[in-house]
Amino acid sequence: MNTNTNISNLILIPILIPFISAFLILLISEKTKYLKEVLSIAVALLCFIASITLLRLVGENPIIYQIPWLGYREMMAFRVDHLSAFLLFAVSMFSTLISIYAISVKNKGYSKIFYFLLLLTQSAAAGSVLSDNLIAMLFFWESMVVFLYVYIYISGEGYAVRKAALKTFLINGISDIAMMIGIVIVGYISDTYLMSSISSNKLILSGWGTIAYIMLLIGALTKAGAFPFHTWIPDAALNSNAAFMAYIPAAIDKLLGIYFLARISIYLYSLNTTMQVILMAIGAITILVAVMMALVQSDYKRLLSYHAVSQTGYMILGIGTLNPIGIAGGLFHMINHASYKSCLFMTSGAVERETGTNDISKLGGLFSRMPVTAICFIVAAASISGIAPFNGFFSKELVYKGTLASGWTLFFYAAELGSILTLASFLKLGHSVFFGSCPENLKDTKEAPYSMIIPMILLAAICIVFGFGADIPVSKFIEPSLSSLGVVVGNIELAGFHTDSLFIIFLVVVIIAVTNHIIGFRLSGKAYKSSDHIHHAPVLKETYAMADKGYFDIYEISRYIFAYFAGIMFKVDRFFDKLIDDIPSAITRWASEQLSRLQSASYRVSMFFIFLFIAIYLLYLGGIKWQ
Amino acid sequence: MAIDLISYSLVPLFAALIIPFIPRKHRRITEIIANITLLSGIINLGYVIIYYLVLNDYTSYTSDAFTTLMLFTIYLVGMAITFFSTYYEVEKDTNFSSYYSLILVSVSAMCSLVMSRDFFTLYIFMEALSVCSFALITSDSKTFSIEAAIKYFFLTFPASVLIIFGISLLMINYGTFDFDTIKFTSMNFLTFVSLSFIILGFLIKAGIVPFHFWTPDVYEGSYSPVSAYMAGIVTKVGGIYAIIKIVMLLSSYGFGSNLSKLLLFTGFLSVFVGAIAATVQKNMKRMLAYSSISQMGYIILAAATFSPIGIIAAVFHLINHATFKTVLFLNSACVEKSTGTTNMDELKGLEHRMPWTSWTSIIALFSTAGLPPLSGFWSKLLIILALWQSGHIFYAVAALIASVFTLAYFTIMQKKVFFGKLPEKFNDIKEAKYQLLIPVVVISLIIIFTGVFFNRVFPYFERILS
Amino acid sequence: MIFYLLIYFIIVVAAAMAIMSKKLLNSAVMLALLSIGISILLFAYNAPWAAVFELSVCAGLITVLFISAVSLVKNDEDALKEKRVKYTVFPLMLVGFAVIASIFVPEYFANLFQFASFNPSNNPPLGDMIWLYRGFDIIGQITLLAASIFVIKHIFTKETKNEH
Repeated sequence: MNTNTNISNLILIPILIPFISAFLILLISEKTKYLKEVLSIAVALLCFIASITLLRLVGENPIIYQIPWLGYREMMAFRVDHLSAFLLFAVSMFSTLISIYAISVKNKGYSKIFYFLLLLTQSAAAGSVLSDNLIAMLFFWESMVVFLYVYIYISGEGYAVRKAALKTFLINGISDIAMMIGIVIVGYISDTYLMSSISSNKLILSGWGTIAYIMLLIGALTKAGAFPFHTWIPDAALNSNAAFMAYIPAAIDKLLGIYFLARISIYLYSLNTTMQVILMAIGAITILVAVMMALVQSDYKRLLSYHAVSQTGYMILGIGTLNPIGIAGGLFHMINHASYKSCLFMTSGAVERETGTNDISKLGGLFSRMPVTAICFIVAAASISGIAPFNGFFSKELVYKGTLASGWTLFFYAAELGSILTLASFLKLGHSVFFGSCPENLKDTKEAPYSMIIPMILLAAICIVFGFGADIPVSKFIEPSLSSLGVVVGNIELAGFHTDSLFIIFLVVVIIAVTNHIIGFRLSGKAYKSSDHIHHAPVLKETYAMADKGYFDIYEISRYIFAYFAGIMFKVDRFFDKLIDDIPSAITRWASEQLSRLQSASYRVSMFFIFLFIAIYLLYLGGIKWQ
Repeated sequence: MAIDLISYSLVPLFAALIIPFIPRKHRRITEIIANITLLSGIINLGYVIIYYLVLNDYTSYTSDAFTTLMLFTIYLVGMAITFFSTYYEVEKDTNFSSYYSLILVSVSAMCSLVMSRDFFTLYIFMEALSVCSFALITSDSKTFSIEAAIKYFFLTFPASVLIIFGISLLMINYGTFDFDTIKFTSMNFLTFVSLSFIILGFLIKAGIVPFHFWTPDVYEGSYSPVSAYMAGIVTKVGGIYAIIKIVMLLSSYGFGSNLSKLLLFTGFLSVFVGAIAATVQKNMKRMLAYSSISQMGYIILAAATFSPIGIIAAVFHLINHATFKTVLFLNSACVEKSTGTTNMDELKGLEHRMPWTSWTSIIALFSTAGLPPLSGFWSKLLIILALWQSGHIFYAVAALIASVFTLAYFTIMQKKVFFGKLPEKFNDIKEAKYQLLIPVVVISLIIIFTGVFFNRVFPYFERILS
Repeated sequence: MIFYLLIYFIIVVAAAMAIMSKKLLNSAVMLALLSIGISILLFAYNAPWAAVFELSVCAGLITVLFISAVSLVKNDEDALKEKRVKYTVFPLMLVGFAVIASIFVPEYFANLFQFASFNPSNNPPLGDMIWLYRGFDIIGQITLLAASIFVIKHIFTKETKNEH
C-alpha cells in the first residue's frame, strides 16, 4: 500500500542528500582546499530550495510519504503539513547560512569532520521534523546527540572541552532515554505510532498518559534548553566555536525542541489547566533565572547562551498558554529567536576571529573598526530585547497577549521583568564591546571577512523584515501551522502594530532598562561592570556565588551523588573486569602462541600430523559402523 | 555434465591456449585477452543472475541455480585478480610468462568442476586446479613462495590419494560415478565409507583443522594477488564445494548423524583454532590465512547439520567469504605495494594516505565479523539458526562466541594498520592506483548490496535446494 | 595362487626399492617395474584395457619422462647431500605393516566384495565408452594438458632467467 506520489519524493531530498554527501566529504582527503565548503553549501542550498517547493506545494492535504521497512507498514512515514514545512524551511535556511559562515571560523577542528557533522545534523534535523512516525522521529532525534558530542569534542584540546562535551552528551542522552520511554508509552496507549493517527483521537492526561507526557516534556525541554536542563549550553559555549553555537544551540535545537513541544502539547494531547500552569511556570522561571545569570557574565558567548536559554522561556510560556494567540506567539518567537540569536553568535564569532578574545572586559570600541558587525549586532540586540519595530517586539507582544488572555498575570509580570533585564544586559554588552574606548592591542582590528558578514547581514535583514512586515511570516507560516496543529484561530488578528496598553508598558520597560544601565555605568565606571550593582546586591550576591559553583545545576548535583556510588561500583567493576577481560585474554594469548608454535616450518612434521589425523578420523569412522 | 553452461569453461581454455602464441614483448595484448575473456563471462553471468533475481523466472534458462551462482563467483574473483595483477607489478623479476594462461586454465578447470555431474570428472578438474595453483603460488621468485608451493603439494597430495580411493570404492558399489545414481539408491556401509574418504580428502584440500598446516604458509608466501585468488576461490571450489555437494546428496536421503557429529566437531575446531591463532599474528597475510581457516570452519559447521537451511547457509557463506577474503587480501596487496611490508608492527596510520583502502577493508571486516546490514550478518545468522534448529545448541553458542573473536582480531588489525598517527617514513606513500582499487570497490559494493537487499536475494538460494 | 603372490612380491619390493634407492635413475627404473607388475595384475583380473593403458602410459611414457628429467639434472645430483633415516627403518616398518595388515585387512576386503555390484560382462565397447559416456573427459584431458604445459613453462622459464 503505497501512497507515494512524485511530489512526495521531494521529502527524501532534505534527508538523503545531506546524508550521502556527508560520507562523500569524509572520503575526500584533507588536502583539497575548498571542495568541502562548496559541497556543503551546495547541498544546503539544494535542500533549501526543496523546502521552499514543499512549502508552496502543501495545500489542504499534507503530503505523505511512506516507506515500509522491515515488514512494518508505516515505519518510515513522513508527513509534511504546514508546521513541518515551515520548520524544514527554517532548518534548511539556517544550514545554508552556517555553511557559508563556517568557511572562516578557525578552530573548528578537522574541517572535514566538521562538515561531515554539519551535513549529518542537517539530515537528521530534516528527518525529525518531517517524520510522522514517532519512532522514526526518535531515531533522527537521538542521532543528533552523537553529533552534538563530537562537535564539542573536536573544538579544542583540553580537559574543559572534554568535560563540556561529556556533560552535553549525558544531559541530552538521558533526556533522550526519557523521551524514548515516553514514546513507547504513547504508542502503547494509543496503539499506533503515527502522530497523525494519534492526533485524531487526542490523548488525555491520566495515569500512563501523564507519565508519558512528562517524559516527552523532559525530552523537548532539554533539546530546547529550558530550566532545569539547560546547563549544558553555557558550558558548551565557553569551549566550542561560534559556528557550532550559532547553528545548534541557537537555531536547530530550539527549532526542534519547540516543534516537538508544540506537537506534544497541542497535537497529541489535550491538556488540562494544571499542566498549563506548570508549563507557563517553567517558562517564566526559565526566563528569569537565565537572564539573571546572563547579566553577570563576562564571556561574550556564555552571555549569549544564557540569553538563548532565557528566550526559550518565552517560547514555552507562549505555548503553555494553550490559546491561539499565545501559541502563535510561541511559534513566531521560535523563528525570530533562531534568526537573531544566530546573528548574535555570528557576531561573536566574527569578533573572536578578529580580536582573538571572548572576554568583554578586554574588548571595547569596536564600532568604528567593525561597522557592519556592529550594526548587525545592534539590530539583533534590539530584536531580542523586544524593541519595536523589530521582529522580537511582535512575537513578544503575542506572547504577552496570550498570557494575559489566559488569566495568570503573575507570569506576565515575570516576562516583563525578563524583558527589562534582557535589554539591560544587551546594553551592557553592546556598550562594552562596541562602544567606549578601545584598548591598545585592538586598535587595528579589521572587519570580518565576507563569508562571515553575508550571513549576518541576511539574518539581520530577516529580523527587520519580519518586524516591519510582520504580516508576511504570520500569515504564511504561523497561521497555517496553527491550522495544521488543529488550533482554531477564529477572527483574531495576529499581526499589526497596535498602540494599546501593551505598547505603553513596552516604553516603560525600555526606560527602566536604560536607566538601570546608566546607573550601573556611573556606579562602576566601566561598561562591562555596569551590571555589578545587581551582581553584588545583598541576597543576589550569595545566590550568584552559589550558582557559579554549580549548586543549582541538576547535572552537578547528580554528579556528586553519582560520584559516591561510582566509587563503589568501580571496585565491583574491577573484579568483574579481571574475571571477564584479563583472564580470558591471557588464556587466549597463551593458547594462540601454543597453536602458532604447532605450525612448524618443516613440512615433514606437518605431514606426520596430517597422517596422524587421517588415521584418527578413519578409526573414528570405522568405529561407527555406518549408523 | 551440464551441457548448457559449458561455454563458460571452454572460452577461458581457448583464450589460455591462444596466449602463448603472442610474442613475449606484447605483454599488453596478453593482459587484454585475459581481462576481456573474464569480463565478458562475468557480464554474461551477471545478466543471468540479475535476470533470475528480478524476474524470478529461471526455468527457461537452466535448471541449476547453484552452478550458475558458483560460476558467477568464480568469474568475479578471477576477474578481480586478473585486473588487479595487470597493474600490480612489485618486483622486476616476477614471472609473467604463463601467469595469465595459468589463471585462465584454472578458471576453466573450476568452471568445469562446478558443472560436473559425477565424481570422476570432479576429481580430474580438481587435479588440474591443484596443478595450476602449484605454479601460480611461485609467481614471484622468492624462496618463500617456492617453499610454500612445495608444502602445498606435499600436504595435499594425500588428499588426492584419499579422494581417488574413495571414488574407486564408490565405483565398486555402483558401477558408475553419477551424482544422480547415488542420490536415489540405498545407503550401505561401503557407500558410507567411500563418501567419508572423499569428504576427508576434500577437508584436507580446503584447509580445515586439523589438516590446516599448509594454509598459513601458502597464503603468506605466495605472490599477493595469487593469495587472494587461492583464498578467494581455489580452496573453496577445490575443497568445500564438493563437501557441500556430497552433503546435499546425503541430506536428500536424510542420513548421517555420526558423520554429522564428526564434521561438526571439525568445523568447530577450525572456527576456534583459526580465530585464536589469528589474534597473535604479526604478519597481515598470515592473520588473514588463519581467518580463512576460521570462516571455512563456519561453512563446515553449517553444512554438517545436513538440513536444508544449513546447506543454504553454507552456500551463502561460501560466496560471501569469497568476496570478503578477496577484498582483504587485495587490500593487503595494495598496502604491501605502497609501503613494502605487511608486518603489522611496522604499519601504522595508513588511513590518512589510503582512505579508500581503509574503508573497503572496514566494510569487508565488518561483514566477516557479521555486523548488520552487510551480507556477512545474514550468512552468520543463517548458520547459527541452522545449528540451533537442528539441535546442536552448544555449537550454535560456540559459533556466536567465535564471532566475538573474529571481530577482535580484525579490529586489532584495522587499528594497527590503518588508524593511528602516520609515522614519518610513510609520509609520502600514495593511495594505491585507482585501477588497483576498482575491483576492491566493486566487490565491496557487492557485499553491501547483497546485505542490504537480502530479502530479494534469499529466494534465489532457496531454489538451490530443488 | 603362487602366481599372484609372486606379482604382489614384485610390486612391493619394487615400490620399496623405488623409495629407498640412492640414485634417482634406479628409482625411475623401479617405478617402471612397479607399473609392469600392476599391469600384469590388471590383466589377470580381467581388465585388459586398463592394463594396456597402464603399461603404455606408466611403464612407457612416464618412465621415459623421468629418465630424461633425471639425466638433465645429473650434474647437480652429486652436490646434494641427503638426510636419511637409518637404512633399516623403512623395511622394518614395511614388514610390520604387512604383518598387521594381513591380520585385519583380508576380512575387510571379504566384507567389501559382497557389495560389489559391478558386472563385467555389461561392458560397452571401448570406443563408445570414451566418446559417448565419458565425452567430457576429453575436455578434462585438454585442461590437464594445458595446465601442465603452462606449469612447466611458468616454473622453468624462471629458472633459465635466473641463471643469466
